[in-house]
Amino acid sequence: MKRTIIPFGPQHPVLPEPIVLDLILMDEKVMDAIPTIGYIHRGLEMMVERVEYTEMGFVVERICGICSFMHGMGYCVSLESIMNVEVPERARWLRLIWAEISRIQSHLLWLGLGADAFGFENLFMHCWRMREQILDIFEKTTGGRIIHSVNRIGGVKRDISDSELAAILAQLQELGAAFGETARVFETDPSIRHRLSGVGVLTTEDARAVDAVGPMARASGIAIDTRLSGAHLYDRVDFEPMVESAGDCLARVLVRLREVDQSIDIIRQAIERMPKGDGQAIETRVRGVPDGEVFTRLEQPRGEVIYYVKANGTRFLERFRARTPTFANIPAMIKLVKGSQLADVPNIILTIDPCISCTER
Amino acid sequence: MANPFRLPMVPRALRNLVSRPATRRYPTEVRPHFAGTRGAIEFDVDSCVFCMLCARRCPAVAITCSREDRFWAIDQLTCIACGVCVEVCNKNSLSMSVASRRVHTRTEVSPDGRRPGREEWSKPVPAAPTAPVVATPGGRAAEAG
Repeated sequence: MKRTIIPFGPQHPVLPEPIVLDLILMDEKVMDAIPTIGYIHRGLEMMVERVEYTEMGFVVERICGICSFMHGMGYCVSLESIMNVEVPERARWLRLIWAEISRIQSHLLWLGLGADAFGFENLFMHCWRMREQILDIFEKTTGGRIIHSVNRIGGVKRDISDSELAAILAQLQELGAAFGETARVFETDPSIRHRLSGVGVLTTEDARAVDAVGPMARASGIAIDTRLSGAHLYDRVDFEPMVESAGDCLARVLVRLREVDQSIDIIRQAIERMPKGDGQAIETRVRGVPDGEVFTRLEQPRGEVIYYVKANGTRFLERFRARTPTFANIPAMIKLVKGSQLADVPNIILTIDPCISCTER
Repeated sequence: MANPFRLPMVPRALRNLVSRPATRRYPTEVRPHFAGTRGAIEFDVDSCVFCMLCARRCPAVAITCSREDRFWAIDQLTCIACGVCVEVCNKNSLSMSVASRRVHTRTEVSPDGRRPGREEWSKPVPAAPTAPVVATPGGRAAEAG
């Protein structure tokens, strides 16, 4: 038995984002993993001291390119609750629809990256081809593919007409049908099963002990989902959190596969239940300056995100803080990496769906 | 060893052999943008009154504006295309074009330190009024002519 230390990252083929893990190995077995973060810290939280609160939402959106819509939404919802702004109902439904579309986008992106990590490049391209259709929907409705800049304190900047919503729903349902074929590959392909099944098992007790969030916790049999709290109109749509019990890498893939279909269903319900008619109010004009503090929770594609906003009665906030889901899942990742084989480390790290840009901001 | 005819990816892969590619031959074939796409900022210097509102509200500090020198400049590569300046402009001098910004294929920093993508406009500073100031019956001064 020989002890070796292998640095994993910050540049690693499997993960385009900079995280460093010092893997301490005994032969091929990982005995310990020491994470280091801080390679992509941009000081976005501190920008609240220089950017007025009305424009800070556009900066917050740029924390991450995958959950950008939800970051902007979380910021705006926080400020709205500090300033007691009543957001028009149609704007709240539009936010829910965009949030769910971005969940589909994120899961498709991740499924592609996951397929690439276990060497299934063909599948990676299929997932990303479907993701491109989602990005087209975003560009059509918000004006941007990745950074949407459509959230504003008091509502949203752009409306989607009813006919356009119907077309989007038809497009999404078509995509859902095509996705079924790809999902079947993930579910039944023997090489994927061989690579992921039984690898990196996080038991329910361990998931509770390390406070895993999002699909990570749901794959370990814990039915937590911030959307269940009913905030942001999620009490008006019917859905059940997707839970798997195995807790291994394959279970985490399956949870995300099912959440894509679930999101399409939530969007269908939202379009049915939202107030109809073009030309409705989508924005409340906000006046004055915020004073007070608030915590906001949202369910991002990767799990629960918490925003803390403290305002002091000026045009510049005193503190803005985001606790992102990847940060909450890093202890779970370290727990899984310990004791695994070196060849399984990339799969384990990828199945928590790490977003280091979110984590370091 | 798995039977290749029972692998779920095989039918899809066979279909791909005869179907058109999903990608385009960029840059010869460019995907058209949608009508509402937020692209590069376009500036109309004639209508601008240099009120500085856009420069003050820009979250990326991409806009430089000076009322005294009647000067307006934007760093297109610093601009984050959020659209705040277009909204706050009272004179509709700013708009967003559908076209995206030019792709920079190499480092284009000039020796004087100017960044690529910087666009500048200025208007001649009007000469100080030379017309005599006459008193109106109401007691307020007004410019003659």
